[in-house]
Amino acid sequence: MATGDALLEFHPTANEPPASNYAALGFRNAQAHLAFDADTNESAVFAGILPNHYAAGGINVVLVWRATSATTGNVRWQVAVERQNDEGLDTDSDSFATAIEATAAAPGTAGMVQYTTVALSNSEIDGLVVNERFRLKVTREANDGTNDTMTGDAELVHVYIREQ
Amino acid sequence: MAELTTEQRRALWADFMRVNTEAIGITKVDLRAAVDAIDTWIDANAASLNSAIPQPARGALSTAQKARLLALVALKRYGG
Repeated sequence: MATGDALLEFHPTANEPPASNYAALGFRNAQAHLAFDADTNESAVFAGILPNHYAAGGINVVLVWRATSATTGNVRWQVAVERQNDEGLDTDSDSFATAIEATAAAPGTAGMVQYTTVALSNSEIDGLVVNERFRLKVTREANDGTNDTMTGDAELVHVYIREQ
Repeated sequence: MAELTTEQRRALWADFMRVNTEAIGITKVDLRAAVDAIDTWIDANAASLNSAIPQPARGALSTAQKARLLALVALKRYGG
C-alpha cells in the first residue's frame, strides 16, 4: 500500500470504554461524538484487525474532533496501541504500549472539526503485525496543565488510520 | 465567611466547563483566574452587599437565602 492509504476507521459508537474515566457518548445535531472532559483524563478504546495490506511503514492515527464550546486553547491527545497476538497476550488486563502524544488547537468556531494526526512508527505500535487484533486507546490528557489549555469538552467524532 | 478553598474553586471551575455550552474564547488558566477573582471579590464585598439589603430582610434571611437571592438576581440581570 502507498503512503496515505486508508487502513481502518472508527466511529464513536465503536468505543469499548474503560471501566472508569471514559469519554461519554453524546450527540450534537444528531451526530455522535465521545466527550473528553477538560479536568479529568478520559479515554476511549477501539478494537480492530490490522489489514493485510499494511506495509509496515508506521501509521498515522487521525483524530477528528471539535470543541463543545471553546474557540481557543489546545487539547493534548494521547494514542496507544495494544497488540493481541496469537496466544501472546492475556486480555484480562491491559497492555498498552507507551502512548504517543500530539497537541492541537481548538477550531475558531466551536462546531467546526479539527483533524489531528498522531504519527506512530512501526516500533511504536506494540510489535503489531498484519492480520492481528489490536486495541487503540485515545486519551485526552486534561491534567497536562502546560499543553492542555482548552476549556470544556473535546468531542471526538471520528478516528481513522492511514499508512505513513 | 472565608474564601472558597483551592479544591472548592477547582471543582467549581470544572463544573462550569462541564455545563457551559456557549462559545468561550479563553483558556482553562484564564477561566480559573476568573473563578478566583470572583470568589475574592465576593469575599471582600459580602459586608457591603449585606448592608444594602433593607430591614427586615437583612435580619430575617439566612446567609444561604441571601446568597440564593444574589445568584438569582445576577442571573436574571445578565442571563443564564
